[in-house]
Amino acid sequence: MNIDEIFDFTSFTIDREPHIVLDTAVCVGCDNRGCTNSCPARCYTWSEEEQKMTFVHDGCLECGTCYVVCHKNAFTRWRYPRGGFGVAYRMT
Amino acid sequence: MSKQYQAIVVGAGPAGSSAALTMARAGLDVALVERGTFPGEKNMFGGILHRMTSIEELMPDFWTKAPLERHIAKKGTTFMTAEASFNVQHETVNFDRAPYNGYTVFRPRFDRWLAEEAVKAGATLITRSTVDDLIYKNDRIAGVSILGRAGQIKAPVVIAADGVLSFTAQKAGLRRPKFNADQMAVGVKALIDMPREVIDDRFGLVRDQGFANEFVGCTGGVRGGGFLYTNYDSLSIGLVFHLASLRVSGKTPYDLLNEFMEQPQVAKLVRGGRLQEYSAHVIPEGGYNMIPELAGNGILVAGDAAALCNATGVNLEGINLASHSGILAGKTVIEAHQQQDFSLKTLKRYKERLDLSWVMKDLKGFRNAPKMLHIDRIYNEYPELVCSMMEHIYRIDGTPKVSIPKLVLREVKEKVGLKNAISDALTAWRAL
Repeated sequence: MNIDEIFDFTSFTIDREPHIVLDTAVCVGCDNRGCTNSCPARCYTWSEEEQKMTFVHDGCLECGTCYVVCHKNAFTRWRYPRGGFGVAYRMT
Repeated sequence: MSKQYQAIVVGAGPAGSSAALTMARAGLDVALVERGTFPGEKNMFGGILHRMTSIEELMPDFWTKAPLERHIAKKGTTFMTAEASFNVQHETVNFDRAPYNGYTVFRPRFDRWLAEEAVKAGATLITRSTVDDLIYKNDRIAGVSILGRAGQIKAPVVIAADGVLSFTAQKAGLRRPKFNADQMAVGVKALIDMPREVIDDRFGLVRDQGFANEFVGCTGGVRGGGFLYTNYDSLSIGLVFHLASLRVSGKTPYDLLNEFMEQPQVAKLVRGGRLQEYSAHVIPEGGYNMIPELAGNGILVAGDAAALCNATGVNLEGINLASHSGILAGKTVIEAHQQQDFSLKTLKRYKERLDLSWVMKDLKGFRNAPKMLHIDRIYNEYPELVCSMMEHIYRIDGTPKVSIPKLVLREVKEKVGLKNAISDALTAWRAL
């Protein structure tokens, strides 16, 4: 299983408006960035070069891991997608 | 849009639909609000629907009606390393006849069915609706608002069954605003397509028999474990990690899942299968000690939202606790309507009912289990100890054999340390 191909095996109805918004300035000062390795969908990537956190909500499985592991309160918004949007499991 | 109901249930999972079914059968006008396009669309779990005694009370022939997969007739535990595995299996004809002890299910089918049963009883199912906030009138809960939509859904009482992160319970001030990563786990799962006959042959099953296996030692040293469950024509295989441990490990759930599926003995089990779906969800694993306030003025909390999950390491129970709590919450709301009092004074009967039930008795009885599961040696050293010991016992290579007690002592000293082993055994004894 290649996580980069998540859209091939899990269905999403992507909302243009993100349900999670991150204040990435907070992530720069984070000593752990556990979100980058803990997120099961690899939505968070940290660039050491640019000293920058990137978050993409498109393949978010709405599992809640980042909400729990972030100890810096970096979220300016963390909610579930609007009704009808987001991940859509068929048979899991 | 603004409609008045007698009760609102937030979330059409097992807790919410059980609550809605209970209340609708008693004649209450219930709104069952779900954020998915259908109930179950957002839901995944590790795997086993244990026996649902509370649903059986509402529907005596539950297992003939519900969309279930195989019944679990065979259970196994595997202690494994990167190269070896040691298996323990249990099978009995008693688990091969109704009422069955547990089933594999697909949540998008099962949850949808249970919500439809609530609808048949008279509940109103409102899908595609993410609850945004509670609304109040004269300091009392008066309903909920929906994200991105005008209007409100009104009722004097709300049951928060909106899952592990329950923002509804948080907004009512019933759960702490921050979770403790020590009390939370994440499960990741791959659904693997496989012909029914292959599954039957590979796992030694006939008819509708199913096999459920737990694994220890397969998480790269991260606290957690693995699972493999058989559906009719697919396998559910996955890992569960404690978040405090995963966070600092630097390892990723999907890499560890791939490593798990590539371990030589596991690879044989999934060989030829094709990945159908990948899913993940957080699990409240803190047990009794992380249960939030269960009731407030005009609100009750049920299921994962109330952290009613019993993860002892032997069984992982959730849906059965969720459903039972939903039914008890529903019964309490029926009573509150009879008395026309939705204050905590009446609604706290829910907690009393739960305390008297097997749900709280089990959670209380196993309250030390999370502590045992925090012994890091379980996830590396002990599986290695077991596998290495068995290899020594079975190996015949022309050298004199060491007696088994001597071998055990030597291996324990070498792999774990005698003191640690004794202390861990005591912790485990107290936990179970």
